[in-house]
Amino acid sequence: MSIISRLTDSSAPISDAERRLIVKYAILTAAIFLPLLWAFLSVRNLYPIAAWNVMMAGGDLERGRSYCILRGETVSGETIDVAPIELTNALYSRTWTMVNATIDNRSFKLPSIHPQNEELLRQYGGIENLPPGARIPDLLQVWGDLYNQREPESSPKRLKAIRLDMYRWESGRYSDYDKFIESWRKEL
Amino acid sequence: MAQGIVNRVVPASPYALGVVRFVVHGVFLGSTVITSFSALGSLPPTILRPTGAMKFLPWSFYDQLLTHTGILTLKTVMVLSLLLSTAGFLTVVSTKTSLLLVLFYQGLLRSFGHFNHDEMIAVYFLVVLAFTPCGDAFSIDSWRARAKKDRPAFAYAYPILLMQLLLAWVYVSSALIKLRVAGVKYLSVDNLPALAIFHSLDNLHDTAFHFAFSLPQVRQYLPFAVALVLIWELLFPLAIFWRRIRWWILGLGIVFHVSTLFLMNIFFPHQLAMYLVFVDWDRLASKKSSKTSVNS
Repeated sequence: MSIISRLTDSSAPISDAERRLIVKYAILTAAIFLPLLWAFLSVRNLYPIAAWNVMMAGGDLERGRSYCILRGETVSGETIDVAPIELTNALYSRTWTMVNATIDNRSFKLPSIHPQNEELLRQYGGIENLPPGARIPDLLQVWGDLYNQREPESSPKRLKAIRLDMYRWESGRYSDYDKFIESWRKEL
Repeated sequence: MAQGIVNRVVPASPYALGVVRFVVHGVFLGSTVITSFSALGSLPPTILRPTGAMKFLPWSFYDQLLTHTGILTLKTVMVLSLLLSTAGFLTVVSTKTSLLLVLFYQGLLRSFGHFNHDEMIAVYFLVVLAFTPCGDAFSIDSWRARAKKDRPAFAYAYPILLMQLLLAWVYVSSALIKLRVAGVKYLSVDNLPALAIFHSLDNLHDTAFHFAFSLPQVRQYLPFAVALVLIWELLFPLAIFWRRIRWWILGLGIVFHVSTLFLMNIFFPHQLAMYLVFVDWDRLASKKSSKTSVNS
């Protein structure tokens, strides 16, 4: 007889093994759902505890939005769009936020900073003197190298430089999406 | 009555739980195999922002991990563990090692980007499977065992019910958070088109569809579509207890997630794959066996 049946039929006897199973599953359920309930009430993600707050704020036409396009300059002189998802597919839907965070220098604003970032901060004399996207050239170098590794040495599609172009949609209308803001370029 | 409802909707056999283990672990095995870890390992650790529990690990560890050798070691160990847990070999141990490895790897990915919820429900399913007898059938362990394990049906039914409840929680909590944070503003005419266009402007998303740019032409109808999605999310728990509308709710879920791919270039393949926990594997198996016996 299933425990579900037992839960609805209190007269049915329960063995010690079954009682242990109920306790085990009750603990498992609480261990999963209590943190989830906390995340839900506080609307906070604390890995691995998730609050499903995807797109909770919705879109706002009045709020300006910045976005980036990754482009490569080939040895034949062409400028082409480069899709980073094809270069680092592990990140897939997280690529755009990785780029935004790197532009904002968020890895320099952590309570514990990577030693190489600490060194860079010392060189610049503090976070306030750090240019936006201080680590973007490192990221561009990786993407450029990964792209070129896939092309034969003689290919005209090989990149001589890679760049990240930043635009802003701030018109407040469904037009004029691409006001140029800034570009980061890395020679390969 | 409750007994009747639950017994009808939740499969209660070791076979059903074994198939769910195979599906969940198999999804992670597949995605691990097709992912380029060497490319991931070439990303600079200086852009990493360890999230949540990942903060407990020292920088020297990440420096070692994000090297060719370090990241390929992680991939090898993950593939090996996920192979064992998918096949149901040494299941008691392999489901736990797979859980720990996937949990760590997903934390690493989130430390580069944002939280991203796609794989999270499947990670929670791994937690459930790691502490339940999911290797008692449809596994190498059960094939090698001389005697069948004597456990009550509840031992197999409850984990499946728990996973279904978790999937329902994902959608219900998502709808409630939207209503709590944005309120009725969430139903504004510009919500969906502005959001969809923003996610279609760059070339850093999963795909590069531009269907979002046609949404402003029908913006007056879009609040109804958004409201329909919210209602669907709130009603998702009915899929657990009411088989007659289950496939309608799951079908709408497939339409919703495919729509976000075309309109927002955002896709949740892991979450969609977890819908398979709603399949009554016992029924499917008995249908298949009766068909085989009729044919023979």
